[in-house]
Amino acid sequence: MKKAIYIFSSGELKRKDNTIYFENEEGQKFIPVENTSEIYIFGEVDVNKRFLEFLAQAEIIMHFFNHYGYYVGTFYPREHLNSGYMILKQVEHYLDFEKRFNIASEFVSGASKNMRQVLKYYINRGKDLGAVEENIKALEERVGNCKDIDELMAIEGNIREHYYKAFDLILGKADFAFEQRTKRPPKNYLNTLISFGNSLLYTIVLSEIYKTHLDPRIGFLHTTNFRRFTLNLDIAEIFKPIIVDRVIFTVVGKNMITKDDFEKGMEGLILKEKAQKVFVEEMENKLKTTFNHRHLGRNVSYRRLIRLELYKLEKHLIGEEEYKAFVMYW
Amino acid sequence: MVAITGTLVQSYNICKRQTWLMAHQIVPDQDHPYIEIGRLLDEETYSRDKKKISFENVVIDIIRSDEGDIVVGEVKKSSKAQESARLQLAFYLYKLKQNGIDAKGLLLFPEERRRMPVELDSDLEQELEHIFKGINLVVSMSVPPPPQKIGYCKNCGYREFCWA
Repeated sequence: MKKAIYIFSSGELKRKDNTIYFENEEGQKFIPVENTSEIYIFGEVDVNKRFLEFLAQAEIIMHFFNHYGYYVGTFYPREHLNSGYMILKQVEHYLDFEKRFNIASEFVSGASKNMRQVLKYYINRGKDLGAVEENIKALEERVGNCKDIDELMAIEGNIREHYYKAFDLILGKADFAFEQRTKRPPKNYLNTLISFGNSLLYTIVLSEIYKTHLDPRIGFLHTTNFRRFTLNLDIAEIFKPIIVDRVIFTVVGKNMITKDDFEKGMEGLILKEKAQKVFVEEMENKLKTTFNHRHLGRNVSYRRLIRLELYKLEKHLIGEEEYKAFVMYW
Repeated sequence: MVAITGTLVQSYNICKRQTWLMAHQIVPDQDHPYIEIGRLLDEETYSRDKKKISFENVVIDIIRSDEGDIVVGEVKKSSKAQESARLQLAFYLYKLKQNGIDAKGLLLFPEERRRMPVELDSDLEQELEHIFKGINLVVSMSVPPPPQKIGYCKNCGYREFCWA
């Protein structure tokens, strides 16, 4: 199985012979190209055109994060799986309001159902979250009646507001109080973790999209402006509660990340490198974890689950099976 | 009318859904181990031969000459889907014949150290023409034929696409 490579240190990435070569003062390392699916760069890494050409040829996608752990961008090599047919179908479903709305609302209600599953898990463990769950359910029922995508986005925002407030009860840690959702820059510890985790998930979904026939620039819930990737943001909505939030509960709950792991930077709070590593490692563990997939009748990893979701969307677009978002059942 | 290719002919005999998907450029999961094995087998075997000759929409694995005859080789991992491979190779011979080239065919199974000659006769030509019609019918459907669980699904790169 091909692996994702994460680079936190600084140095130079090169093509050497027919493989990937990383070099810095501490030493040198060969990374087998055949076993690499994607590369995440957190450190100050130099690359050259020859290296990028090599990645394109090997169909490896590369994501960059800046010094503060914020997403910078992706080297997305030219499409290698071209299906004009699929792209036309994707565009058709974007341009037709009803078709677009059907898909977008499935993303919102799927995300909402997964958030409620998270809450239910903690309700079963005696946390007093029944009222939050009811509130979210009421909002979720309004999804189908929205007039337009903006209204849908607003409901989605409201659902998340209720949901994130429940984190205080779930985590029970004063240091990680939610207060309110703040982005760019996130203003407190919890928001910093949410932002970091969500950005990671966006790139993971993008990597999976690269391996399908879908065009990442055409989202349905998030408006396409053709300057940035949006389909990954859509799909990520469904998986945030399943993947990111549960990683947050683990790293905070087990004190793997504490308030000492943050520092104040020019642009708000920053997760220190050590903590970034902890988070990324926990996220990787989660993605590798397998479970029995009811429909497929065998074990699949969480990363694979994302790919399956894309396949379901493709089948919806070609008109063979109505898309239903994955809802976790545990 | 679709442009018939060797893989369409090959898949038609195994799974019509696969034919439809391939014709719509929805290729199977490239990470699938069998597809990787196929790629490696293709790169690493018969390196002394001329490889990958393409014309129109035909890509031929290997071309050799054998005492004046032209021999066209098709490399396969296993002989499990031998009948489909035979039809695929026959299709190449058919296309060559249309271009005025008479050739012989050889199916190659390097891992099994086995080979099988294929010759184009009028029966086989008729069978192919019948298949071309069938492919055109399948591909012109607005949605792919629904998935059906067959033995081939187990090792198929479309498995997750079909059953997700």
